[in-house]
Amino acid sequence: MIEVLGKAKLLRCPPGTSLQDEGRLSGAQYGIPSSGAMDQKSFRWANHLLKNKSNAVALELSQPGLQIQFTQACLIALIGANALVNLNQNKVSNSSLISITAGDILEIGAFLSGSRLYLCIQGGFQVERYLESGSDFESITFPSKRSTHDLLTYFPYPQAQNLGAKPKWVTSWFESPKIETYRGADWELLSLAQQELICSTTFHLSKFSNRMGIQLEELVSNQLEELPTNPVFPGTVQLTPGGKIIVLMRDAGVTGGYPRILQLTEEGQSILAQKKLGESIRFQLLE
Amino acid sequence: MIPHYQLLSPTFGELVWDQHPTDELLGFQLAYLTYIQSNFSDTLAEARQGFTRISLVWKNPKTQLDFLAQLKNIKLPPMELSTTIWQVPVCYDPEYGQDLNVLAESKNLSSSELIQIHLEPIYRIHFFGFLPGFFYLNGLSPLLHTPRKSVPMIAVPPGSVAIGGNQTGIYPMQSPGGWHIIGRSPLAFFDSKQPIPVWAKAGERVQFVPINATQFRNWKDTSPKSTSQ
Repeated sequence: MIEVLGKAKLLRCPPGTSLQDEGRLSGAQYGIPSSGAMDQKSFRWANHLLKNKSNAVALELSQPGLQIQFTQACLIALIGANALVNLNQNKVSNSSLISITAGDILEIGAFLSGSRLYLCIQGGFQVERYLESGSDFESITFPSKRSTHDLLTYFPYPQAQNLGAKPKWVTSWFESPKIETYRGADWELLSLAQQELICSTTFHLSKFSNRMGIQLEELVSNQLEELPTNPVFPGTVQLTPGGKIIVLMRDAGVTGGYPRILQLTEEGQSILAQKKLGESIRFQLLE
Repeated sequence: MIPHYQLLSPTFGELVWDQHPTDELLGFQLAYLTYIQSNFSDTLAEARQGFTRISLVWKNPKTQLDFLAQLKNIKLPPMELSTTIWQVPVCYDPEYGQDLNVLAESKNLSSSELIQIHLEPIYRIHFFGFLPGFFYLNGLSPLLHTPRKSVPMIAVPPGSVAIGGNQTGIYPMQSPGGWHIIGRSPLAFFDSKQPIPVWAKAGERVQFVPINATQFRNWKDTSPKSTSQ
């Protein structure tokens, strides 16, 4: 039996495309961010569907326009945003699991809802891991993001499978504005009025949003002094001296000096990762 | 300096010290961090250290409660801090320290006075953060404390030595940044091709050594020298 590695060719790759997994846990001691999939819930579900190891590397898309060709048969899952998907120019009605034959071209069109789509492949994309993670990051992986003409390697699946009944991916879980959160380490430094304002305001996502953090439009006026620099995590919500609220996401640095007012649950981070520019959110405090 | 524990979620909390960052506090932090990492390695998912906190992420809620129950019995002496001092060459020529002259002027100092004040202390490395390979140093003279720029620079060059707030630090790689740039070091501060990507450790010290622009341009060896005292 001749084992030939499969190659996925990025015929067209939109900006904001990277390889991601569960992230790096042991890098913080060197100042290395967690990285990993912005929406861990969708990422995990995709790997679960494929019976992959939980840390199999997937392609994270944050914009439509991907065109990808597979040189060998494989099984893929598309989970996260609800996007228009074409396989060899035919519309795919349920794209949660797709059986690919050699030479197939897959195209991702408009995102009807959601902001991040995970293209997972059976066995995961094969990349060099650093600190047990294949997540792309500047100065850690080379390249640090994906672009047109790149090739991704995978282990081919011998033949296209009859998938039988396919699960239907639903996106209602991230369409609610509610984001559950714990109180942050510095929550008690806020005045009662500030605390009430943060809990009762409908915030909107600003255009200053990327894998490092998501900045919200509404300000919360703030006279807190800058604090000693201390640890932050994905999901830590900071309040800047100018009153801006920044939710740190997967590529954020591991420490920060702004008050850490909230800490989103992992589900809350996944919901936020699926929100678009201008969409509204409300923080809901957990006891 | 016994810390208390702030429970922040079922699987996440922080060891809290209320003191200002000092060598003594760092000694206690490193003692607790080392103890927890070796005694709770099976149940701890991740630990992160800052100037006055250590954040702990637990694998499940029960393991956090188990730790909390044991914490009151943990009374550790401070760890003795390393005697290693890293010599970090810095070129303070305005070509590399583009904010040096403006910063000196704002403090009614000459540029050479500012450089002398920056060179005087031996700085203590407390932890890494902000960027891969960026170490947080304690010991900047209050004379040089300066609020961060209101508009950050889009691309601070790698090796830039800068002052922000009450801290000084070195940008290991190109990055946006709001600190005032007073010089540049020819050393490499982060290399993910190495099994351990940084050469310094928390608790060690850094001494800046001035070099001129010609020395900077001709600098070959990007790894640092150290002494012990």
